[in-house]
Amino acid sequence: MTPAATLLAAQTGVPTEAPDAAEPFLEELFGLLPRDIWFALVVLVVGIAVALLLGTLTRRVLEGLGVPDSIEGTSFERTARNFDTSTVELLGWLVRYFVVGVAVLAALSIANVNYADRFWSRVVEFLPMLFFAVVIVIVGIVVGDKVGLLIAERLRGVKLPQVGIIPAAAKFTVFFLAALIALSQLGVATTALVVLLAAYLFAVVFLGGIAFRDMLQSGAAGTYLLLTQPYAIGDEVRVGDTDGIVQEVDLFVTRVENDGEEYIVPNRKVFDEGIVRVR
Amino acid sequence: MVALSDLLDDVVADVDALFVFSPSGSFYERFADADLDTPVVVVAPENAVDAETYIELPLEFKNVRDRIRFGVEGAMEADVVEEGDVIACSVAVFDGDQDAVIRVRVEEKMRSGIYDLFANSRADPSVIRDVFEVAIELGKKGQKGKPVGALFVVGDAGKVMNKSRPLSYNPFEKSHVHVGDPIVNVMLKEFSRLDGAFIISDSGKIVSAYRYLEPAAEGVDIPKGLGARHMSGAAITRDTNTTSIVLSESDGLVRAFKGGKMILEIDPEDY
Repeated sequence: MTPAATLLAAQTGVPTEAPDAAEPFLEELFGLLPRDIWFALVVLVVGIAVALLLGTLTRRVLEGLGVPDSIEGTSFERTARNFDTSTVELLGWLVRYFVVGVAVLAALSIANVNYADRFWSRVVEFLPMLFFAVVIVIVGIVVGDKVGLLIAERLRGVKLPQVGIIPAAAKFTVFFLAALIALSQLGVATTALVVLLAAYLFAVVFLGGIAFRDMLQSGAAGTYLLLTQPYAIGDEVRVGDTDGIVQEVDLFVTRVENDGEEYIVPNRKVFDEGIVRVR
Repeated sequence: MVALSDLLDDVVADVDALFVFSPSGSFYERFADADLDTPVVVVAPENAVDAETYIELPLEFKNVRDRIRFGVEGAMEADVVEEGDVIACSVAVFDGDQDAVIRVRVEEKMRSGIYDLFANSRADPSVIRDVFEVAIELGKKGQKGKPVGALFVVGDAGKVMNKSRPLSYNPFEKSHVHVGDPIVNVMLKEFSRLDGAFIISDSGKIVSAYRYLEPAAEGVDIPKGLGARHMSGAAITRDTNTTSIVLSESDGLVRAFKGGKMILEIDPEDY
């Protein structure tokens, strides 16, 4: 008996040298199909078992990480709920199908199904990519939704209807990135999209830098002021031609008050013009 | 025929508004969807039910009278009700769901300044609320089981600093501690054994501890029998635009002063 058959017998639980009366029957059964087919069947069964196990494990791990709570309320999760399932459940099933798919292909190749060999080898190469692409798309949709929700939450105090564009922009940026990664994973030509992304990022970073230049300068100056505190609340100071008592120092501005007039001085100005402490 | 519900009919007859205090979502929706001809006003710590007319309740007032007074005062400020209106208040007197309906006539003398204390102080309402919570916590637990006193001066910190002097080195110098931070309860508990006042800025930064306040005390009208801590706490609010919150060492009550007057007196044990 070949080593492979011994292994096979051990795995299926078929006794190789069973002394009882079932022996002739089992041997007959064993001889009914070629050994390769038996081996392929075992691989398939083990594959399905592993798939079920991994799927459950994925779900448990994601639940343990608190994923269901943190993606609560995203539209993907809500859609999933409408179909009586959840994102975590879906990911679990995805893992299961992937592993089952791999097992099926492995079983087919072991069983020496020779037809369309090239086709199958292409599929084997393609399957993991497809799997990761789908996972990336799901994660991208969920994360994008969540980012949009979080930003909308932060901006809820700002009662300006137009402010709704910011969470939407953030959400679609994440969607776009996820789609880009998924497409390049599948090997689709994405050069044009990458150029678009570069242009978009350039616009955000460069124009944002110009637009928020004063804020950034004030923030940098404010960091120094907060760390070293050259003047504190209650000191009488003069910045340029403004003088008064310091009421508040934060990252961007210093509030100086004088006889009922409160000056809000950007910290940038404190650095540009220097500050005089009046004693 | 007299039915038990007649009792309620008298209470809610001809009211101009219905005030619902901290309703649950489904409770509020029942009224909001019913198209009542009286406006429904929600009074709660946060607008969890997305009500159209909403008054923010800064503290979960245990005392129902304080809670209703705050709600009515806030509604008067917001021009939701006016003097002479009659309102029905649906409140939870005991913990849990709505269990009482109270009929209240809005009167000018209900304006005690509690709402004003939170909404129109120099400091942010959330800062005042945080200081209250710290004071209440301190009043409940004390320092090692012994009652402690503390004086917090909130807002207009620049002027207060100029009207006070340090008793010793300022433990909060060059630090960036805000009253809402989780560590603050412990820190303040430790520092409360120092004499003097805590000074807190408009945005909640603890500027200094260990300050001796030097306001001019003439014309300050506070109840007799309160000690030097209360007197100086009240006096500084007359001189500057600040709010002071005092935890009494002798009777354990938390009192708030503004404009030289006592606005609010609460017992920490009730919260």
